[in-house]
Amino acid sequence: MEQLLSVLIGALVAGSVFLMLAGHLLRFLFGLILLSNAANLTIFLAGGLTPGAPPLISEGAEGPTGTVANALPQALVLTAIVIGFGLFAFALILAFRAYQTLGTLDTDAMRVAEPEEAQ
Amino acid sequence: MTSSFSRSWLSLAGLLPVAIATTLFILFLQAVPVIAAGRTLRQVWQWVPGLGVDLSFVIDGLSLTFALLISGIGALVMLYSARYLAGHVHQARFSLLLTSFMLAMLGLVLSDNLLTLFVFWELTTITSYLLIGFDHSAKKARRSALQALLVTGVGGLALLAAIILIGTTAGTFELSELRAMPAILTGSTLYLPILVLVLLAAFTKSAQMPFHFWLPNAMAAPTPVSAYLHSATMVKAGIYLLARMHPSLSGTDVWLWTLTIAGAVTTVFASIMAVRQTDLKLALAYTTLMALGALTLLLGNSTGYAITAAVTFLIVHSLYKAALFLVIGIVDHGTGTREVDRLSGLVRAMPVTAAAAAVAALSMAGFPPFLGFIGKELKYAGALAVASEPVLVAGAVLLSSALMFAVAGIVALRPFWGKAGDPPKPPKEGPWAMLLGPVVLAGLGAFFGIMPSVIATTLVNPTVTAILAEPGEAKPLLLWAGINLPLLLSIATFVLGAFLYALHRPLRRGLIWITQRTPSLDGGWDGFLAGVMAVCRWQTQLLQTGILRRYLFLTFATAFVAMAGTLVAKDAIDLPNLVPDVLPKHGMLFVLIFLGLALTVITQSRIAAIAGLGVVGIGIAMLFILFSAPDVAITQLLVETLIVVLFAAAALRLPHLPRGGSGWRFWDAMLALGLGVTTTAILLMVTASPVDRELTGFFEGASWPEAFGRNIVNVILVDFRALDTFGEIAVVLVAAIGAYALLKGTPERQKK
Amino acid sequence: MSWLLSLPLIIPFATAIAAFLVRGHASGRWISLTGSAIALAAAIALLMVVLDDGVIAGQMGGWPAPFGITLVADLLSAVMVLITAITAFAVAIYAFGDIDRRREELGYHALFQTLIAGVTGAFLTGDLFNLYVWFEVMLIASFGMLILGGEKEQIDGGVKYVALNLVSTLLFLSGIGLLYGMTGTLNLADLAQKVETIPNQGLLTAVAMMFMVGFGIKAAVFPLFFWLPASYHTPSFAVSAVFAGLLTKVGVYAMIRMFTMIFDHDIGFTHTILLWIAGFTMVTGVLGAASQGDFRKILSFHIISQIGYMILGLALMTPLALLGAVFYLVHHIIVKANLFLIAGIASRATGSTDLYRIGGLYASSPLLAVLFLIPAFSLAGFPPLSGFWAKYVLVKASLDAEFWFMAFIALAVGLMTIFSMTKIWAEAFWKPHPTNPDPALDQVPHRGALLLPVAGLAVLTMVIGLYPEPFVVFAERAAAQLLDPTAYITAVLGAAP
Repeated sequence: MEQLLSVLIGALVAGSVFLMLAGHLLRFLFGLILLSNAANLTIFLAGGLTPGAPPLISEGAEGPTGTVANALPQALVLTAIVIGFGLFAFALILAFRAYQTLGTLDTDAMRVAEPEEAQ
Repeated sequence: MTSSFSRSWLSLAGLLPVAIATTLFILFLQAVPVIAAGRTLRQVWQWVPGLGVDLSFVIDGLSLTFALLISGIGALVMLYSARYLAGHVHQARFSLLLTSFMLAMLGLVLSDNLLTLFVFWELTTITSYLLIGFDHSAKKARRSALQALLVTGVGGLALLAAIILIGTTAGTFELSELRAMPAILTGSTLYLPILVLVLLAAFTKSAQMPFHFWLPNAMAAPTPVSAYLHSATMVKAGIYLLARMHPSLSGTDVWLWTLTIAGAVTTVFASIMAVRQTDLKLALAYTTLMALGALTLLLGNSTGYAITAAVTFLIVHSLYKAALFLVIGIVDHGTGTREVDRLSGLVRAMPVTAAAAAVAALSMAGFPPFLGFIGKELKYAGALAVASEPVLVAGAVLLSSALMFAVAGIVALRPFWGKAGDPPKPPKEGPWAMLLGPVVLAGLGAFFGIMPSVIATTLVNPTVTAILAEPGEAKPLLLWAGINLPLLLSIATFVLGAFLYALHRPLRRGLIWITQRTPSLDGGWDGFLAGVMAVCRWQTQLLQTGILRRYLFLTFATAFVAMAGTLVAKDAIDLPNLVPDVLPKHGMLFVLIFLGLALTVITQSRIAAIAGLGVVGIGIAMLFILFSAPDVAITQLLVETLIVVLFAAAALRLPHLPRGGSGWRFWDAMLALGLGVTTTAILLMVTASPVDRELTGFFEGASWPEAFGRNIVNVILVDFRALDTFGEIAVVLVAAIGAYALLKGTPERQKK
Repeated sequence: MSWLLSLPLIIPFATAIAAFLVRGHASGRWISLTGSAIALAAAIALLMVVLDDGVIAGQMGGWPAPFGITLVADLLSAVMVLITAITAFAVAIYAFGDIDRRREELGYHALFQTLIAGVTGAFLTGDLFNLYVWFEVMLIASFGMLILGGEKEQIDGGVKYVALNLVSTLLFLSGIGLLYGMTGTLNLADLAQKVETIPNQGLLTAVAMMFMVGFGIKAAVFPLFFWLPASYHTPSFAVSAVFAGLLTKVGVYAMIRMFTMIFDHDIGFTHTILLWIAGFTMVTGVLGAASQGDFRKILSFHIISQIGYMILGLALMTPLALLGAVFYLVHHIIVKANLFLIAGIASRATGSTDLYRIGGLYASSPLLAVLFLIPAFSLAGFPPLSGFWAKYVLVKASLDAEFWFMAFIALAVGLMTIFSMTKIWAEAFWKPHPTNPDPALDQVPHRGALLLPVAGLAVLTMVIGLYPEPFVVFAERAAAQLLDPTAYITAVLGAAP
């Protein structure tokens, strides 16, 4: 199962890199979401996969009974998802503003800060 | 630049530097008897012991000679400047810079610690830069300042490297300790690099061929600066360095030949170029080059004659050259021109100036009984005693001395005698404050010539001792040494010099014709800078293209090469056996995610892409559920929903995806594939062995008993790793502020 | 010691909240200034304690390491926190004259203080994932500051900045996941010990490279620096000054921390690569600077070039080289932030940062001229200013290690630096203004607030240059702690097992 997930993460990376290189801000954002997912899954996978045993402590018990899923990566992924969303939301609105201000989403045409030199 | 002589010049800015320089001169005079008695003075303060750098200063013959020249000529030049720049809007800045320069130059020659010496060396470079560019609104002055800074800057960096290597080799930065270990550098494997670096520093600072071109351009500075920095003192810093390092670096063939050739070429070239000039100041600048070449040439040797000649000539030259520069300044000030053809018969209006010029010129031409004569005799004696090629060296000295003779006539004779010329302003004698310098300096040349013993025992002998690091080598300074080869050569110099003077006009025309048709290093300078700039622009346009797509490509490519390359280079690829352990329901989920991914990547439709993203997101959320992470799954679902909503809302106002933009991009696809495969490979290896669950074990054990939570993930977030959560909240809040600023922050002018 | 460690972190956060609540009101700037002053005091106190007691660690929430999050201050961390507080204080004063009411209304002070909090957190944390969190706090705050004002250039520069920094972030995050998978821990001190037990050390090196690339983007090294020259010339001057001083240095700090304490298992490989990176970064940065004609663009490329020097110190990995890297970090932050602040004043006095359209400052504003010359010559490594000692130590370290060519590059780049600095000097100061005969400083509003921090930082540059001994001794001790992290590990985990 770990192996298949490894392949999936690789595929997500490949897809997102390909999208980010398309030179279009909207596609960059698609790629960004996919890459975020890949990074989150990497943490999740690295902590090991345990089906059917959430890291909960039942009433009355001092600790979890039996082997439960690794809680730490889950906490990290939760944090990363929320942070990633914050960054994504900003990036999306930036793209929106970029379209309003610069009139394009084609990154090749965004040459205001670094204009082509006349020389 | 030119201000009226009549304005009051008795200002603090004008006179304070004079007072400082005079005080220092008097203080250094106190040291003369001590040094003449063969002792040295040393003073050490700790500075940066952590790096082995002390503020250690030493007064021996060599440093004292320089210090007296620097402070003595300094006092006269500053008095001159007080008048020369009286009323100039930036006079105070000028005085500050000139005084700073003097102090830096004194620090340079007095330092016993090489790094301290370097500090002052660079300070002279900076002050020189600012002084050459004093007339800052003129483009020429700015160009000359930069040129001088960069050329001497190269030398400065070489010197720093040399000093570090010397420190490593000898284990000390103290020059006095270094001299006590004679063969420590010459016998080292690093000798050659050290020598090359030291020579680079000395040759750039003292304008030896082929680094000479900055010095004539430095004449863009006001005349007192030219007289002081670029004739009497700063350009001699390179000579000082050669003299200072003489005990540690000389005595090898490389030393001998490099200095001989560089010195000889410079001296001959410069004296010829001096004849070519029509601007008196430029002519003097080239004679300074000639003198520096001669000094380098002589310092190549280790004989008593050569070194005595070098020291004597150093003093002679500083006296007459500073005097002549100041004279030219007075002429320029009084007539409005420095062009030799427009100046004639000034003696009637400027008798004192003419007298000072005449005396200085006679010393320069090497007539007895002036110190210049003794200097020239010693130069011939030194040249004949060289270990390299006495005939060629003596020939070079003869030719340059004869040309010097001619230039002395051109500079100091022609403008003052004969019938009146046609200067832009009616000539007028300079004020006493400006005349004092040339008169005193020229007079000293005559006085020392008649009474050479005054400086012989007090300065020349201790200096020669310092340079050769052993006493008793100095040769006597004599006006009459009997009829010998140097005397005969002197007579030949006068004859040849008189001949050249008589022919100087056709000679000059010929030289102008030639130089206009040959490329010069100064002409090449602008081309060189332009070339450097072209390389800079080429490189920058290659890397900093302004196109995000290329930035991203290079970034991803770097990541790929770094990771995949390391795996290959370190032979670290150790893939586990692939085990098909997939349950059908999991398999379905993966297929779903893959399909969503493929749709997002290949579609040309915004809506389809967003739908694909949604499928991927929900699929991943289901994965989280399958593998026991319900909280993560819920968050993932929530976030994915928000993303889709936001996207959909924004997409309505954004344009469609361009057709074909996501088409077949071979290299992008290769890179994407490469990164994907690398990621998978690393993950397969990392997950091949189970993770160490020590941390999780602690959390499972402490979650309820100590932190009172039954959901371990939540306890980690709010308690064990609460700081992460705190930061996470900050990110979300700040993202909101940022987004608000983005939406509301339209520029002022667009609001209308 | 927990409270002292968390103070430099809590103060800017509290200040940010207070400033946000009153945003748009004139008291916001005073709140920001007061907060910065208190944070400066806290940072000084922290450094004093670390100087006296050695490395100190605080377990947040009282959970023992390596389970909870540990804040740690060794000499490097403590001095970085202090220099951050100094920069923040200077920029908080400068903001009085630079940040207009509109930007204040949009939350400038809150963003600024959050940025400082993020930077400080990154320097203090002893936990890898927590480092990621602080990186993100810093990043999102920098996004907001960069686009504040909404000019076209800002949006364009912002897009490139955001895109490339997000890639860096995700690389870093994935690296954390992988490292966790291999070691099962996130605590830096714990990691330093556990990485030794990883059987496939080659794999560890590959993951190390992932961190190198991630931090390399942050630090703007060759060939990952593109975002910096694309954006640093676009925001307000106060913003670009604080960016120039601090942001890349967080990347450098992270690189130094990781590649001295954790990824020191294959120095022959990783640090040779760092050496190449250092060389190319120094050269490409300085050549880039030489090709520019704008005050801030020149300075931006010089940041890159000088990051190369710091990486050089890390790559050589000798006590002297690391001493140089630490010294260079401190020197560079002061000088570079100051030059950007000066660019702001020059722009206000002359009307632009385009060097070909301005001039005349030498004649009209000698004070500004002096204030420019000090950091400019320091940047180029002229004695007796702070940059000289930094350069000297690194050149000596290169020569001692017999990397002749690196020493040559370090020296030659110094020469090119002076070339760029004199370009600014000749064009903005010496050359007469092409249109305005008297572009005077005394017509600039709020010039007191603008000049005060510039003068203060210039004095600091002079002090370090003229009296470097305490700084050298300090950097030497900091370097020793980096080379032998035992004290760090013991402070975090208790006595060695």
